[in-house]
Amino acid sequence: MFFHIVLERKIQLHPRYFGPHLREKLVSKLMKEVEGTCSGRHGFVVAITGVEDIGKGLIREGTGFVTFPVKYQCVVFRPFKGEILEAVVTMVNKMGFFAEAGPVQIFVSNHLIPDDMEYQAGDMPNYTTSDGSVKIQKDSEVRLKIMGTRVDATEIFCIGTIKDDFLGVISDPGAAS
Amino acid sequence: MSLEPFNRLVKLAARAFYDDITMKGDNQPKTGRGDNRGIAVVVLDALTRRQWVREEDLAKALKLHSKQLRRILRFFEEEKFVTRDHRKESAKGAKIFSAAVAAAAGDGRGKEGEEKVKLHTHSYCCLDYAQIYDVVRYRIHKMKKKLKDELDSRNTVQTYICPNCAKRYSAFDALQLISYTDDLFHCERCDGELVAESDKLAADEMGEGDDNRSRRREKLKDLLQRIEEQLKPVTIQIARVKDLPVPDFGTLQQWEVRASAAGWRGYGEIDPNDANKSSQGYGGTPMPSLGDTKVEVDLGGGVKEEVQSEGKPTKAKVLPPWMIKKGMVLTKEQRGETSLDAEATTQETTIDDKKQADLKDDDKSLMDEYTKAYYAAYYAKIQEEEGGRQSVKQEEFGVSASDQDELFGTQETSSHRQVGMKSKRRNAEASYKLAADLNMEAKESEEEEEDNIDWEDG
Repeated sequence: MFFHIVLERKIQLHPRYFGPHLREKLVSKLMKEVEGTCSGRHGFVVAITGVEDIGKGLIREGTGFVTFPVKYQCVVFRPFKGEILEAVVTMVNKMGFFAEAGPVQIFVSNHLIPDDMEYQAGDMPNYTTSDGSVKIQKDSEVRLKIMGTRVDATEIFCIGTIKDDFLGVISDPGAAS
Repeated sequence: MSLEPFNRLVKLAARAFYDDITMKGDNQPKTGRGDNRGIAVVVLDALTRRQWVREEDLAKALKLHSKQLRRILRFFEEEKFVTRDHRKESAKGAKIFSAAVAAAAGDGRGKEGEEKVKLHTHSYCCLDYAQIYDVVRYRIHKMKKKLKDELDSRNTVQTYICPNCAKRYSAFDALQLISYTDDLFHCERCDGELVAESDKLAADEMGEGDDNRSRRREKLKDLLQRIEEQLKPVTIQIARVKDLPVPDFGTLQQWEVRASAAGWRGYGEIDPNDANKSSQGYGGTPMPSLGDTKVEVDLGGGVKEEVQSEGKPTKAKVLPPWMIKKGMVLTKEQRGETSLDAEATTQETTIDDKKQADLKDDDKSLMDEYTKAYYAAYYAKIQEEEGGRQSVKQEEFGVSASDQDELFGTQETSSHRQVGMKSKRRNAEASYKLAADLNMEAKESEEEEEDNIDWEDG
C-alpha cells in the first residue's frame, strides 16, 4: 500500500556548496540519500514529492560540514498481510517462485500454488496446469495475495499465495508473443 | 465445591485420549499378556476416587506391579495430569499419612500405619485438576487447529529442513537460502539441499501427488468432523466445569494437615461427613485400600447409609423455611438415590414445604385441608418413587457396568485388538453417548435448582 507522508532527515552538506544553489543541492542530496531505501517502519521510499521545511544548519566542528534538518514529503510503499499485489516473476524452482512488485520481493511456495499446477523442470522451469492453458514462468505477471511479511530494519520480504479466487497469471508473455 | 464434574472430565479425557496408550517395557516381549492398553484409564479412574495416595497403596489396590504403576504415573506426570511428591520417610512419617487417609476416609481404620516401613523414599500422587482442565482444553485446541490449518492450507509459512544437519528454515528465509548455482535452497551451515518439511497428517498416509490432494482434503474434513463428534462429551464437560471452582488439595503436607484435622473433628461429632470435609471437595468415597469395582458398589451403599442416618430427624418434623437450605439434602425421599435424581426430586419437595409454611401464616383450616391433600399426594409420590427408583438405580448401575465392561473388555480382548479395532471404537462412542445422556440429566437438575433459589429469594 502506498502512503504519502512527511519524514525528517538530517542532511550533511559540504561547505563548497554554500552559495546561491544551496537549497537545490540540498534537495538533490536528500533524494540521492533517501529514495529507494527501505525502513522497516515506513516501508520503501519511492519518491520525494516536496520539501516542507529546512531547519537551521549546524556547523560541525573540525570538518566544516553543515547539518540541516530537512522535513520532506514522500511516497512510501509498504506491503501488508492480506494485500493483493501484482508482481513479475523473477525465478521459478521446484520450491515455488519468486516475484517482484516494485522494490519488494515475494516468495510463493509450491503449496500456495493451486493444486492443479505442476512444476515442469527444464531450460525454462515453470508451473503449468494439466491442460497447459496457464503457465507461470520467469517474467510472467501474477496477481498474488500477501500471506506474511518479514520486516527487518532495512528490508521487507513477503510470502505470497496464488491459491485463491482471481489470483494467478494476469498475462502470459509466452502467449502474447 | 464439587469434585464430580471434574472427575467426570478426567474420566472422559482418559477414555478419549489415553485408552490405547501402551506402557512399553524396555525388554518386555510383546505377548498378549504384556499388552496393557487401557491400564492408563484404570489408573486415572482410580485416582479420581482418591486424593493424595501413596503409590504402593494404589498399586496394591489396582493389583498392579508398583513398577508398572510408576511408569504410568510418570507418563501422566509428563502429561501434566498428576502431581507427585517424593519424600524420604520413616515409619512415623508414613503413619501421619495413613492417619490422614483414615481421617479422610471417615473411618478409624489405620491399618496401613501398622505396616513396617523402613526409611526409604515414598512417592505420592494426586490428580491436578486445574492443570488437567487446561491440558485437555489445550490438547483439543491443538488437534483442531492442526487440522483446520491444514484444511485451509493456512500453515502458509512453509518450513524447510536440512536433511544433513536438521536445521530448519521458514519460507521467510527463502531469499537468503536461494543458491545462484542451481536455483535451489541450500543450508547456510552445511550447504546441503533443503527439503520442504511435510508435517501433514494426510500426506503421510497417502503419497504426495496432485490427484491425491482433493481426496486428502476430504479426508481431513472427515477427520475434523469426527473429532468434533467424538470429543463432544469432553467439550461439553469442559464447558460445564469452566465456571466451577477447581478442587485443589494443595501439596501433600497441606493436605495431610487438613485431612487429619477434619477427620479428628469428625470423630467428636457422630457424623463423619460434616461440612468441614465436604468443603474440601471430597465427593467420592475415599477408601484407598479398596479395588475398583468394590468402590463403585460401596459408593451406593455408603451414600445410602449416611442419608438414612441424617434423614431420620427430618422425617419427624417439618423444617421451618429458613432451614430449608440445609434440609434439602436430608429429605427422606433422597434416601438411597445418587445425587442427580435426588437433587431434582428434593427440589420439588422443598418447594412444597415452603408453600406449606407460607400457608401456615394465612389460614389454619385451609392449611389443614391442604396438608391432608399434600400428604396424600406426597405418599402417592413416594410410592411412585419407590417403584421408579428401582429402575433408575438399575439404569445407573448399567452405565457404570458398561464402563467397566468397556475397560476390562479392552484388556481382555487385547490380543484380538488389531482385528477388532473398529468395533472397539464404536463401543467407546456408545459409552460417550450414554455419558452425554447422563449429562443432560444433570443439567436439568441444575436448572431446577437455580429456579428454586430464585423463587426463595423473591
